[in-house]
Amino acid sequence: MRVLLYTGKGGVGKTTLALASALGAARHGHRVCVLSTDPAHSLADALGQPVGPHPRRISENVYAREIRAQVELDGAWGHIQDWLRELLREEADVLVAEELLAFPGIEELVALRAVREVEQTGDFDVCVIDCAPTGSTMRMLRFPDALRIFMEHFFEFERKGARLLRPLVRGFAAGRLIPREEFFDAFERLYEEIDDVQQILLDGDRTSARLVVNPTRIIVEETRRSFAYLSLYGIATDAVLVNREMPSAVGEGYFSRWLELERRELEAIEESFPVPIKHVSLRPREVIGLEALEELASDLFGDSDPAQRFSTGRPIRFRHVGGRTRMEIDLPGMTKEEIEVSAKGADLHLRVRDGRRSISLPESLVGRPIEKVRLREPVLEVHFGDG
Amino acid sequence: MRLILYTGKGGVGKTTTAAATGALAAQRGLRTLVVSADAAHSLGDVFDRRLGPKPRRLATRLDAVEIDARHVIEEQWGRVRNYLVELLRYQGIDEVVADELALLPGADELATLVCVEEWASSGLYDLILVDCAPTGSTLRLVTLPEVAHSSLRWMLRLQRATAQIVEPIARGLVGAPLPSAEVFAEADRLFYKTLHRLRARLLSAQTSIRIVVTPESMVIAEARRLLTDLCLFQLASDAVIVNRLLPDEALREAFFQEWGQTQIERLREVETAFSPMACLTVPLQADEVRGVVALAEHGKMIFGDRDPAARLGPSLRLRFERDDGGARIRLPLPGLDPKTLEVTRVEDELVIGVAGRRRKIALPAGFAKLEVDRVSYHGEELLVSFAANGQSERPPPSSPASANWPSP
Repeated sequence: MRVLLYTGKGGVGKTTLALASALGAARHGHRVCVLSTDPAHSLADALGQPVGPHPRRISENVYAREIRAQVELDGAWGHIQDWLRELLREEADVLVAEELLAFPGIEELVALRAVREVEQTGDFDVCVIDCAPTGSTMRMLRFPDALRIFMEHFFEFERKGARLLRPLVRGFAAGRLIPREEFFDAFERLYEEIDDVQQILLDGDRTSARLVVNPTRIIVEETRRSFAYLSLYGIATDAVLVNREMPSAVGEGYFSRWLELERRELEAIEESFPVPIKHVSLRPREVIGLEALEELASDLFGDSDPAQRFSTGRPIRFRHVGGRTRMEIDLPGMTKEEIEVSAKGADLHLRVRDGRRSISLPESLVGRPIEKVRLREPVLEVHFGDG
Repeated sequence: MRLILYTGKGGVGKTTTAAATGALAAQRGLRTLVVSADAAHSLGDVFDRRLGPKPRRLATRLDAVEIDARHVIEEQWGRVRNYLVELLRYQGIDEVVADELALLPGADELATLVCVEEWASSGLYDLILVDCAPTGSTLRLVTLPEVAHSSLRWMLRLQRATAQIVEPIARGLVGAPLPSAEVFAEADRLFYKTLHRLRARLLSAQTSIRIVVTPESMVIAEARRLLTDLCLFQLASDAVIVNRLLPDEALREAFFQEWGQTQIERLREVETAFSPMACLTVPLQADEVRGVVALAEHGKMIFGDRDPAARLGPSLRLRFERDDGGARIRLPLPGLDPKTLEVTRVEDELVIGVAGRRRKIALPAGFAKLEVDRVSYHGEELLVSFAANGQSERPPPSSPASANWPSP
């Protein structure tokens, strides 16, 4: 199954293009499931028809589903939910407590888990994900790593602690607050599931990110950084989609300055991203409903299949040049001051602005010192010396 | 000290609007701080200055800052962090902790709240404007005090009840120290007290939320849901700002003709859905708005002679209630002829028809499994009662439940 992640700055048209791609892919014979992982869902708004937390058929071979933490929690993690409810019961009123069950992090977790669920049904060839705006999406993609750290360093401690405390506080009001053993089991299962999803996301053959951008300065600048973060987390972006370009029909009158600024940004886009760029112009009316979305898909992808891999480049690669191996990673929009590299044991620690990741080194590079780090826009090269 | 949060769907111009409000307010004499709470910051891009985690002076009386969760944790979480480091050393890792914590979900929101409260109580500012992250995260931001408040009170009680007995045993069993009373005291100070204060501040009359929209149906639909959630948490919104209205000059372009008609309808939709809040309109600019001077000019265009820091309009007193007896929505609708009223539920929305005008209200998640049971109008207030599935005589929720005003 192909997984297509649509992300970008807020308001650029992620939902619209994700839906257009899904409809386009279905026309090429694929069975497609569209998932919205943005807690502020807009699939239904763009389709002009309702979409719920359960898969709903929206067109021939296309299903759509909005991931809602509350509903997912009802189904899969009764135990975790029971505990949270208990925790909140005394303080918040019932209605507020229901809302609060969507604890920070639950949304990211639920979204990732849904991807695995779609794959396991075996009913779909393509899963198109309409992601939350960049900041939250990066957090979602970072989530498996954070969870791993939590599981490795805190989880057993907590579980032991809970086992120990349970008999001691039996009878005290506070005793209800210590999670039951089932809670820990549920959590462990969850961790395994999330780990599966991580495997899907890091596989460039299966997963591609698509960055949606509008030709304005602030959006282009942020999208460059998003591309870099995706690279850092090991996710391959295979295309950048430029939405809402001024159509050629618009004259020089009121919009002359706009057109000038836009031309400049379109050039910047071409220079910034080492992947194919696809364009679609602003429509003469709001893009709502299947017909308008299908028309948009034809304009954006022409005859090509939106589910194909538009670029086979990998975000992180090890290359042999002149008898030596070096690591390369695409980090557009980052300055040298924002990047920190260090080797520690079998891992390379990489920090890019507020993102951080440990990358496993191939065996041949383990223990070798870092000789040189060079930023050749948009590629960061890490050269290794002899061990 | 006035606190105003700007929120709305991504890309509507929240950052520019917040920055313009700040630039104008400072020019008119208020000591102003503009805070960016979106992890994907663009406030610096709009001011055309590099901003950091400490307030930076941009013009007379005007400061701006971009919150950096990692920085806040390093700075503020001293003891808690040290405890975690100590714990982790037992397990073999070290200083990555602050970074990792900063990336955990909720950390950005938490950092924002802690910082805003600190600046708000510093006495250095008359006005603080927060440029929130897109809608989803904003909700998390405003609900966090509630969550943290509940969980921490319990943790503290639990700790106090058990620390004496448990600590020595635990140390032996898991080979790691339990958090000391000091750690909990710090957590208490940081979260409980600070967040408690912040919760009070968010609910105070000095705080308003402003919703920014553009005249597009997807944007407005999301803003409606946002308004419901704000009402759910009893946060007061004073205005909706309709940004990027195409000016007449732009509408002369043949290409934009249909957009012109659409935006008239959308504007009407906004006025209906958000009344009695103030509705401000801002035309699409021919050039990008960048830098303090341009932003102050833009601020004048938004606010005209109004005081940008004032409460611009009354808040919508929409109330949601839920208890054992069912659920209710209360909406003040003064001076209304009940005969012209029609209430229908369509999917996740309640459609209220008043004298031929339809007002849509997004229903909170907790209402998903309920259906409209009864509609009444008393003392200038519309009351819609909901009942759980099967407890009323209405059709199941798959078909839209409808209830008309019963004859008097």
